[in-house]
Amino acid sequence: MSWLPLLVGLAAPPAYLDPGSGSFLIQLLIAGALGAALAIRMSWSRIKGFFRRKESPPPDSEKHGE
Amino acid sequence: MGSSVRSGASFRDPSGFLFVRDGTLFRQVNPSYRATFDQLEQSGLYADLVEDRLLIPHTLADVAPAEPMAAALVLRPDPVAFISYPYEWSFSQLQDSALATLDIQQRALAHGLSLKDASAYNIQFHRGRPVLIDTLSFEVYREGDPWVAYRQFCQHFLAPLALMSRRDVQLGQLLRLSIDGVSLDLAVRLLPWKARLNLGLLTHLYLHAASQRRFAGAEVRTAQGTRRVSRTGFLGLIDHLRRTVAGLHWDPGRTDWAEYETMHNYSPAALESKRRLVAEYLERARPSSLWDLGANTGAFSRMASERGIATISFDVDPSAVETNYRSVRASGEVNLLPLLIDLTNPSPAQGWHHTERLALQQRGPADAVMALALVHHLAIGNNVPLPQVASFLADLAHWVIIEFVPKSDSQVKRLLAAREDIFADYDVEGFERAFSGAFELRHHEPIAESERTLYLWEKR
Repeated sequence: MSWLPLLVGLAAPPAYLDPGSGSFLIQLLIAGALGAALAIRMSWSRIKGFFRRKESPPPDSEKHGE
Repeated sequence: MGSSVRSGASFRDPSGFLFVRDGTLFRQVNPSYRATFDQLEQSGLYADLVEDRLLIPHTLADVAPAEPMAAALVLRPDPVAFISYPYEWSFSQLQDSALATLDIQQRALAHGLSLKDASAYNIQFHRGRPVLIDTLSFEVYREGDPWVAYRQFCQHFLAPLALMSRRDVQLGQLLRLSIDGVSLDLAVRLLPWKARLNLGLLTHLYLHAASQRRFAGAEVRTAQGTRRVSRTGFLGLIDHLRRTVAGLHWDPGRTDWAEYETMHNYSPAALESKRRLVAEYLERARPSSLWDLGANTGAFSRMASERGIATISFDVDPSAVETNYRSVRASGEVNLLPLLIDLTNPSPAQGWHHTERLALQQRGPADAVMALALVHHLAIGNNVPLPQVASFLADLAHWVIIEFVPKSDSQVKRLLAAREDIFADYDVEGFERAFSGAFELRHHEPIAESERTLYLWEKR
């Protein structure tokens, strides 16, 4: 991650867009749940991927099996 | 060195602006943005986005800036053949632009950056695909901050897409009314009650609109405060928006125009004759750009685009434009852009000082226009006198390929079925007289087995 040190001390240019108070605050409200949902979905697909890998033969043997 | 003209659409963001000098478009980067700009390149995000055709490529330009006192760099972005606006896009064009924006945002976050705006006007169709044209749209991501462009994304993309999908596709035209998308307040009032049952729409439109009403003008200081949006929460928000947008559908269905190509009054020989003449005229005029007016689903536009001509298919029917775009997308066509335009009321100049969004005519001229089976709709369907049809086309292009459809044709008879024929000048002589004012006749030939004639005119 060679770009990380560049972030340190970087002065952010001012945001020009008005995010809107309501649009800002609702994100605080919903982001936790949406983040959790994403995390669950990702670990679920990881679990499924783990078992699928175990069940199916490795791709190499498929290639040579014909 | 010629004088620089600053773009009228480029003033909101103090990071830089666009200017045109000697016909070339440049982007000045201001010193306040220099460090972030370097970050875009050094993080690898620029290369990643350009490689996957999500961001317009640029080169560093060795030219004097337009405003030297406030300049850090000057960029020369790759030119986009035609600037189009979201109210000229079909449902899938707007949807693909929304998904491209979210894709860019996800990649930006992976590189430590984030989109600081999510305007639909920052997306353009370049060689068949939606790309971000505003290179200065990024900021360094600070964990804890909510997405500053969340409201803009919902107004520019999600609200119009939901209305088009769940209420009526024509509501995409609401984008033409307001410069900053469709307000969420209006969107939720127009959506059917059932839309609340979609979790994404409930969250990002209904609850979002309620939050805007509840907290209007409330003070928010979150970056240093205790209440924050975690990185996972931020990613969850973007992912959920993506799933919500991707879950919206609109089916072009069967309208008169989308089916036109299978139900017009041409015999196979007539169609073949028309195709042969169009090909001949294209060879003769050799345009590098062509606007096909009343293009329907683009069958004749493709005769131009497949010859490498930068072609735009304009049509008034959302189903025809949608069908056309889906073909472009499916076969990866790069020279054809389908757009929704009502020629009797084309996109006007609008926004601040009438310069933010250009009128259709200001975005021309093209080398050639093609108007096949169109003139009777303008002259009889919309009562435009033929000399005014000619002067309109003369403003749009140098060459005109136009089909004259006489009163004896069954399609014209249909237009006149329920109304009085007040069009005494609508005949071949009247047509040729009207066009001879601004144009020189290069060729005309009857289309076999039909009442129609195909003309090639060149501007004097």
